[in-house]
Amino acid sequence: MMLVLRVLVRQPLHGYAIAQRIRQLSADELSVEEGSLYPALQKLLVKGWVKATWRESDSGRQVREYRLTASGKQQLEAEIGEYRRMTGAIDVLLKEA
Amino acid sequence: MAIIREFIRRLGYLVRRQQMEDELLREMEAHRALMEDPRAFGNTLRLREEARDAWGWNWLDDLVHDTRFAWRTLRHSPGFVVTAMVTLALGIGVNIGMFTVVNGLLLRPLYERPDQVVSIYGRSTAPDEGIRGISYPNYLDLEAGTTSVFSNLAASSTVLVGLDAGEGARRTLASGVTANYFDVFEQSPTLGRPFTTEEEKPGADNRVAMVSHSYWTQRGADPGLIGRTLRINGVPFTVIAVAPRDFAGASIPGPDVWLPLGAQTAFEASTSADGTLNSREAHTLSVVGRLRSDASIESAAAAVATVGRRLAQAFPTYNAGYTLQLTPPSRFLFMPGPGSSAFTAILTVLLMAMPAIVLLVACLNLADLLLARGHVRRQELAIRASLGGGRWRLTRQLLTEALLLALAAGVVGLLLSRWATGALLTSLRPVIPVALSLPELDFDWRVLVGAVGFSLLASVVFGIWPAWLSTGRAAVTDLKRQAGEEGRRLGSVRVGNALVIGQVSLSVLLLAVGGLFLASAISAAAADPGFRLDRGLVVELDSSLAGYDETRAREANLALVDRMRAVPGVEAVTISSSLPFTSFGDSRNVAPAGVADAQAKAIDAVFNVVGRDYARALGLPMLDGRDFTAAELAPGAEPVAIVDDLLARRLWPGDSALGRFIQFVDGEGPEAGRTMRVVGIAPTVRHSLSNPQPFPHVYVPLGQRYESAMTLQLRIAGNQSEPTMLTTVSRVIREFDERLPIVRLETWRDHLDTGLDSWVYRAGATVFSAFGGIALLLAVIGVYGVKSYVVSRRTREFGIRIATGAHPRALLWQVMKEGGRITAIGLGIGLLLAVAAGRLLQGFLYGVEALAPVVLVLTPLILLASSLLASYIPALRATRVDPTVALRSE
Repeated sequence: MMLVLRVLVRQPLHGYAIAQRIRQLSADELSVEEGSLYPALQKLLVKGWVKATWRESDSGRQVREYRLTASGKQQLEAEIGEYRRMTGAIDVLLKEA
Repeated sequence: MAIIREFIRRLGYLVRRQQMEDELLREMEAHRALMEDPRAFGNTLRLREEARDAWGWNWLDDLVHDTRFAWRTLRHSPGFVVTAMVTLALGIGVNIGMFTVVNGLLLRPLYERPDQVVSIYGRSTAPDEGIRGISYPNYLDLEAGTTSVFSNLAASSTVLVGLDAGEGARRTLASGVTANYFDVFEQSPTLGRPFTTEEEKPGADNRVAMVSHSYWTQRGADPGLIGRTLRINGVPFTVIAVAPRDFAGASIPGPDVWLPLGAQTAFEASTSADGTLNSREAHTLSVVGRLRSDASIESAAAAVATVGRRLAQAFPTYNAGYTLQLTPPSRFLFMPGPGSSAFTAILTVLLMAMPAIVLLVACLNLADLLLARGHVRRQELAIRASLGGGRWRLTRQLLTEALLLALAAGVVGLLLSRWATGALLTSLRPVIPVALSLPELDFDWRVLVGAVGFSLLASVVFGIWPAWLSTGRAAVTDLKRQAGEEGRRLGSVRVGNALVIGQVSLSVLLLAVGGLFLASAISAAAADPGFRLDRGLVVELDSSLAGYDETRAREANLALVDRMRAVPGVEAVTISSSLPFTSFGDSRNVAPAGVADAQAKAIDAVFNVVGRDYARALGLPMLDGRDFTAAELAPGAEPVAIVDDLLARRLWPGDSALGRFIQFVDGEGPEAGRTMRVVGIAPTVRHSLSNPQPFPHVYVPLGQRYESAMTLQLRIAGNQSEPTMLTTVSRVIREFDERLPIVRLETWRDHLDTGLDSWVYRAGATVFSAFGGIALLLAVIGVYGVKSYVVSRRTREFGIRIATGAHPRALLWQVMKEGGRITAIGLGIGLLLAVAAGRLLQGFLYGVEALAPVVLVLTPLILLASSLLASYIPALRATRVDPTVALRSE
């Protein structure tokens, strides 16, 4: 979910594009079945962290575009902060050991 | 806030779910279309399911689904539904019914914020700690001295009066109150105006009245009632107000009419014209006050005690030796002084215990039924389990069914309870000596919470366990069940047996206690009062209620006796101040006159003021001496008395009492301390049913004491019918003075049967037998259910045994024997409980022991017979098993 939010920071994207971006960014390392993106997106919608609108894509298709909301940005920052602290702690542990 | 916004978004998903689903599907399809390898997308169906999970409404879907499914399955087994519903509705209905009554009478506050209201009374500092009310002048001082702790302090005096609104006088309660009385309870009249401070003052004598709200509604809630005239003890009062709807009096039963304190002297015959209200020694008022919100009980008690001390110093003649104290107002006592809340608590527990036992039996029964049903449905459950239904999911399904049943039964029970409440109240009425003005017995939130609570309790506690058992691991193995597997699952049969034992023992308990009360009622009815009951009539009159003063009442009493004596068919008639077998009796300490230690020699004797022919009217001869003469019935005659045989023997053992003098050692009234010559010896009669020992009596003639409430006792000729004579007597009284209220008019037999003592036994017998009967019915259903269950489980076994030549009768016997065994265990436990309960209730019983034959023999017989009958039908079914069908059925 953090990844999805992260991807949406720069611009609003539709589902397929989100999946593409995550794949690119993670260099195929985090390859899961793409469909599992949708339950995650529904959760973000319910939480109010993203908003969805239907629009016509450049290629003339009807796509549903997701846009990060203000509370979504806050959430992302909180999650990144949390993640940093966690990895920092693990780093320390690994170095000390 | 975030949570609320999220919830609103969720609601949006619930409302527009079809659109949401469509959008999700379209979006997923669009995604797949763009992919090179759509298979990498994953299982669309499962993903959509997961996405829906995110919306958080799946539990609701499940609930709707479960409920629909439960509805469909229940519709297909009407027999089960009817049995379960009847069982539960009875259990819930009697509980709500009893709870409504208990709630109205014992629990519901009679006014707003009752913890702020206290009552004040005087307590003697002498060792007897005597309790008295507060006089009006003392009240005024008390009010002035406690303004810092009480927002309102009011006084009232409640008395029995004859109230006549043109429909014949009847006895009821009237309460004289200070002007601020209703302010204490934070209420104001529904109609009309409150009393004024002027009207409250002694001697104001403004004859205005406020009727109770229930009095008003019983007469059609007619606003025209204001301005009408009511006669209170014959004195006309004008109705100026209708009391507040939510206030039926500070205690139960409440008064039917309120008057300003200053008008009370108008009708109180016993009060002299100078107005006792003004005198500081008339300690008769009940005082209640509401604490200021900033005052504590302790500070109020201190302030009240201070005023008490000041009063004792300022007016020692009237106030020395008494302190003023606080107490929470009593719920059932309109007299001043503390009441006990322990009584209320005990009564609540006692009254609720019976229906609670019935509900318990009903619940055990429901558990039984569900268990049996779970077994019948094992095939279905097994299939559903093997198709992936988790145990919790299946349990939840079964639980939904139980819940649906319980809620439906709750609704039926609620309807049943209205009837039960009515029946309970009707049975209460005959014993209360005044017209009841009860607080409205509505369904308030307590009753509704109770109803829902009972239903949920019944279904959850007793539904969850059978459901869990039925969906156990064995469910799956049921699909591929092999012969010989029966033994492994007999555990649930054992559970069923335990449930039945519980039901049987509880029914025995209720039935046996019902039996004890029934036996009491029978022996009370058969009790020998010491005189002849047949051909006897009693008439209770209170001439003061018609506004008679002493002189007129004395004349009227004698004239009425003469009139009655002249009625054809009347053999003997007498008049007396007290009547045997009523709840109230008057007694005095009597000693031989002139002895030094009179106090020690004194004997407590029933005190009765009578006319001539008292013994004759009871159908008894005088044992010795003579009856009173006509002259002795007038005031100022020589003081004479008649004692009964028992008193004579106790006062002068081995010697004749005739011609000797007795003295009244203490007590009240004009006869206190006086000596009287014994002129006759009367036979001993009983005065009370609950006391098996005869009690000594002393009779004094009408001349020696005036009482306004008198009873005529008539003995009629053998050739007259009692009902005709009752009509005649009532007509003669009406001709004499139509305003004279007839408080009671009945035959001796009816009087005895409707007395408080008899009523307790009969009410006990009725209520316990009714509850016991319901419990028995439920227990029989339980036995039947378990036996049917066992037989259906063992169809295969029985089939094999019949095929191998077992005699049907042997099978019948075996099933019956098993039924008999669990019944016997239940009986044993139940009898022990019953004997314990009988011991506990001994004080309420009459002429029976806790170990009476009715308990030890009759109850078990009833139970055994019903239970054998209940297991006979399933047993018969066992013998009719067709071996070929049975063996194929697996």
